Amino acid sequence: MASPVSVYNSSPLAPHISSMSRESVKMELLADVALLPGEERIIDKDIIYICPFNGAVKGKVLITKYRLHFKSSDADVVMALDIPLCAISRVEKMGGASSRGENSYGLDITCKDMRNLRFALKQEGHSRRDIFELLFKHAFPLSHGLPLFAYVTQEKYATEGWDIYKPMEEFRRQGLPNDKWRIVFNKSYELCDTYPTVLAVPYKSSDDDLKRVAAFRSRGRIPVLSWIHRENQAVIVRCSQPLVGMSGKRNKDDERYLDVIREANDTAKLTIYDARPSVNAVANKATGGGYEGDEYQNAELVFLDIQNIHVMRESLKKLKDIVYPNVEESHWLSSLESTHWLEHIKLVLSGAIQVADKVSSGNSVVVHCSDGWDRTAQLTSLAMLMLDSHYRTLRGFQVLIEKEWISFGHKFASRIGHGDKNHADQDRSPVFLQFIDCVWQMTKQFPTAFEFNERLLLTILDHLYSCRFGTFLYNCQSAREQHDVRSKTESLWSLVNSRMEMYLNPFYTPESGRVLYPVASMRHLELWVTYYIRWNPRIRQQQQSPVEQRYMELLALRDEYLKKLEALQLSDSPSSQLANAANTSSSPPPQQYTQLQTPL
Amino acid sequence: MEFSEHIKTANVEDVVLRQPLHPPSRGTLCITGHHLLFSDREQGSGRKVLLLLLRNVDAIEKSVENLLAHSGPFCTEGLSQRMSGSSGTITIKCKDLRVLHLDIPGMEQSLNIARSIETLSCLDGVSEMYPFFYRPSGVGLQDQWGLSSPEKHYSQMRELHDRWRLSTVNRDYRVCPSYPPAVIVPKHAGDDVLEKAAKFRQGGRFPVLCYYHRKNGMVIMRSSQPLTGANGKRCMEDEHLLRAVIDGSDRGFVIDTRSGQQALQARMTGGGFESKSCYSSWKRLHRQMERGKALQESLIKLVEACGDQSHNMDRWLSKLENSKWLSHVQTALSTAGLLAECVERDGHSVLVHGSEGTDSTLLISTLAQLIMDPWARTLEGFLALLEREWVQAGHPFRQRCAHSAYSHARLQQESPVFLLLLDCVWQLWRQFPLALGFSEALLLRLATEAYASDYGTFLCSSHQERCALGVTDNTHCLFRALLRPRERDCYSNPLYEPTELAIWPSVHPQALQLWRGFFLRWTPQARHLEEAQEEIRNMVTEWGKLALSRCPESTQRREDVQPEHVEHLRRDTTQVQ
Repeated sequence: MASPVSVYNSSPLAPHISSMSRESVKMELLADVALLPGEERIIDKDIIYICPFNGAVKGKVLITKYRLHFKSSDADVVMALDIPLCAISRVEKMGGASSRGENSYGLDITCKDMRNLRFALKQEGHSRRDIFELLFKHAFPLSHGLPLFAYVTQEKYATEGWDIYKPMEEFRRQGLPNDKWRIVFNKSYELCDTYPTVLAVPYKSSDDDLKRVAAFRSRGRIPVLSWIHRENQAVIVRCSQPLVGMSGKRNKDDERYLDVIREANDTAKLTIYDARPSVNAVANKATGGGYEGDEYQNAELVFLDIQNIHVMRESLKKLKDIVYPNVEESHWLSSLESTHWLEHIKLVLSGAIQVADKVSSGNSVVVHCSDGWDRTAQLTSLAMLMLDSHYRTLRGFQVLIEKEWISFGHKFASRIGHGDKNHADQDRSPVFLQFIDCVWQMTKQFPTAFEFNERLLLTILDHLYSCRFGTFLYNCQSAREQHDVRSKTESLWSLVNSRMEMYLNPFYTPESGRVLYPVASMRHLELWVTYYIRWNPRIRQQQQSPVEQRYMELLALRDEYLKKLEALQLSDSPSSQLANAANTSSSPPPQQYTQLQTPL
Repeated sequence: MEFSEHIKTANVEDVVLRQPLHPPSRGTLCITGHHLLFSDREQGSGRKVLLLLLRNVDAIEKSVENLLAHSGPFCTEGLSQRMSGSSGTITIKCKDLRVLHLDIPGMEQSLNIARSIETLSCLDGVSEMYPFFYRPSGVGLQDQWGLSSPEKHYSQMRELHDRWRLSTVNRDYRVCPSYPPAVIVPKHAGDDVLEKAAKFRQGGRFPVLCYYHRKNGMVIMRSSQPLTGANGKRCMEDEHLLRAVIDGSDRGFVIDTRSGQQALQARMTGGGFESKSCYSSWKRLHRQMERGKALQESLIKLVEACGDQSHNMDRWLSKLENSKWLSHVQTALSTAGLLAECVERDGHSVLVHGSEGTDSTLLISTLAQLIMDPWARTLEGFLALLEREWVQAGHPFRQRCAHSAYSHARLQQESPVFLLLLDCVWQLWRQFPLALGFSEALLLRLATEAYASDYGTFLCSSHQERCALGVTDNTHCLFRALLRPRERDCYSNPLYEPTELAIWPSVHPQALQLWRGFFLRWTPQARHLEEAQEEIRNMVTEWGKLALSRCPESTQRREDVQPEHVEHLRRDTTQVQ
């Protein structure tokens, strides 16, 4: 009688825990963990997982060189946790040997992927000492002189993910070099140590010009071409801030260089997008930076008001506070608003829209922030995604990330803190997550425009932290070379491209040449619930969205028809009639499609 | 009455129309008794750009160039020139939330037009409304009207017949003016019992059956509040009627859509609730649902926030929250969930009512049926459900949908209960994209039609009123029209996959979304999504056609050879449809 009276809110949905037959529990508790080649066991232990949703669960934890795995030992509770060690940002001891209260002694683990885990142990005999020390050591291998798991794993894939991006090929696809743009090599990273080796620069600028410009740009990150519009030859150029400083220094070479970019497609004005709020750009003068002033003739400067990495980090922290472990329900929308997360997403997206719009109307643009590796990467890559349908394919998207983020030195190692114990490091920031969120917003607004699905985005984010692949390791190309990433680790794209069908959007309808302008109004942005709140059992977890699944079934059904049709047409021709009649009747019955599970 | 007396200016040339999602166009404006027509002059052949039902106009704002202001000291032009140079702009805010602007040359003309629209958009007489004039070609008025009737409903459900009967006690609408002539009631309650029970219920709405759950034989009943008053009056017949409903099983539930406090207060004004002492086997559950004015104000706030053009949008989420619309959606869905839980999970019959039993009551009984009943989730089933639970059950469409969110008129009995229902159904559709046989387009169409329609379906407030005005004889039926082959194509869900299981919606705030398709319908973004959905629909129907048009034809001749094979094909083909 209790249930109808109980508040319906206590969702009857998505049972996190369900009953399970006793037989299966008798099996070796952790035997079913499929370890990766090269993944060795470090320790296992009886432990209590303090689940924020279902209370304490007794079970066993297994720690390997790659993951922390927990499985319930209670026959009535099916629960498993699996988390790569490198997704842990902080491990703390909780309570002491003399703490009172049940389950008050144990470990408190903060993760980079929007969850926290708490484990309780027996209070006697320093039961947590070994596990704490091992966890601390292996979750932060770089702080302990150990290699990241990407260097340990023995995984092999049929496809070579490192080959997905070849800079020369990509430039050729864009129609480069041409009479206005040439390719130069940043040999031994002499021109700029955080840039890739292959760069596209104005044809008219000599190598000496480049060096002089590099001297005037923060960290030598000179303006180079990211993308060129095939028809109108307008370009997206990226760089870092000019070193104007308090005294308002000028650099004729830099001024001339930007004007050459403008001339390349004969337009009256070059637009410079400074991603920062103007106040911040002014403030940067104090530390030697700044922005392009009036001395840059034929150029207009637009500030895009996107906040810096620290603001973004705090915003995500606030978001986590309202979604984990429990969702702030009573004032959900205003709480969400107070995190400003969607507002930041809006500003990034609308900045990218402005860039894309300028370029598609035939005007070249220069994009920079301070160093040109965070907000700049967000803006150029999103604008390119809007402008060029190639980047909306599964492979093209990989190229886009390799090119605008990895090769151009987004500081993944510093922003994520791979293998590093300093959880409070001020360099950490969810800049790349924000980019993926923006992409997700676009896929929501244009459900047929992207060849890949949400699962790809989730996979990318999971492996952004996991350190199982070399793809997101280190801060720039030169560091990656130094550490032999290509030869000693696997690429994430090897995994993705060896099971592409998992990541395909069945609704994809290729439409080249169309520029996508998402609506960057708050009214049209949504919180990405299936990422940020995915650990909450009340959020319906679907392996595959039912719509997608149904669509796949219909696709299969169509193929079935076509096959039958072919068979029947064949059997129509009199000569083969008899043979075929026998043939088809003995053919297997039409495929049975498994009933679709209503997500309950 | 002649419409022409309200039309001083019927035609104006050289009008500029600005409407969402279209570039402005210049052309001819024409006002008729029921429509505003605009044809594009530049397109040569006088292409019709806009045909707006005047009934759809919710509010009209006019701004005219004031002649006096222009004849100041700086004015040197001749008077006549200024007269012809003067112009007006009329802003038309529609009940479907569209906002149109018309720039009309000539002040007098624009005032005339505005006045005509104002008058003609809120004519009172039902029989003067457009549905009585709408005569589409190829469809006769003799065609059947409606999909369902209590009689049909009863005869279709054989399982019912043991314990339930069809009563015609209300055949002349004497017992309950807002009920249809026939209702389904317990077999053991005679018409005399019903008549007495009706006197004990507000508006005569005695408990009647609205849903029979085949799986366990439990039912949903609905009624209005009992008139116990401050002294706690009793009515033996009413108690007997409810006892007959549960017939031997241990208990039933009453879901009262008011808070306990509200129900108590209702006793002061003659209403009340089923007290424990008199209805010992019924357990009351109170769930406060917002109604009437509060709901209308919520809609107004929401639409205001949606239409806010100011650039400073950083307060959007707060505005959305403050409108409370989504919390009304949440309450409705969770109360319906509670109702379904009682019936489906715990196996009890439930009586639902609030005070009048014509609004929230219908809302949650409809939603609960969608949650539990696979048939209600088909296109036909859903329309029949709406017909039974809203049109025949006497939801006062005429009062509730007289105005929408833009109207400046003083609120009377407007309340967007039906719109709230459609929003809740949309939430279900979003959470269970395969479980419903109809599309979002259907919900959007219904949301528009409820306020302004070519069809007679949503006219009037009760069966009695519809009969008196001859609605069924003189208008066309929307539900029938929606089931014609072309419409059916567009309103069915191509990915529909029937399921026998109940669909339990999540009601957590992060699981509920603003129904952008409706509330932000006239912004460009909604267009992308519509296009994408159109594309998906086309893909799926293309394959269906491919399978249909080619396979059977080529298999026909082979039937003798492989009957089994053909059978397979046929079965598969019907699946795709």
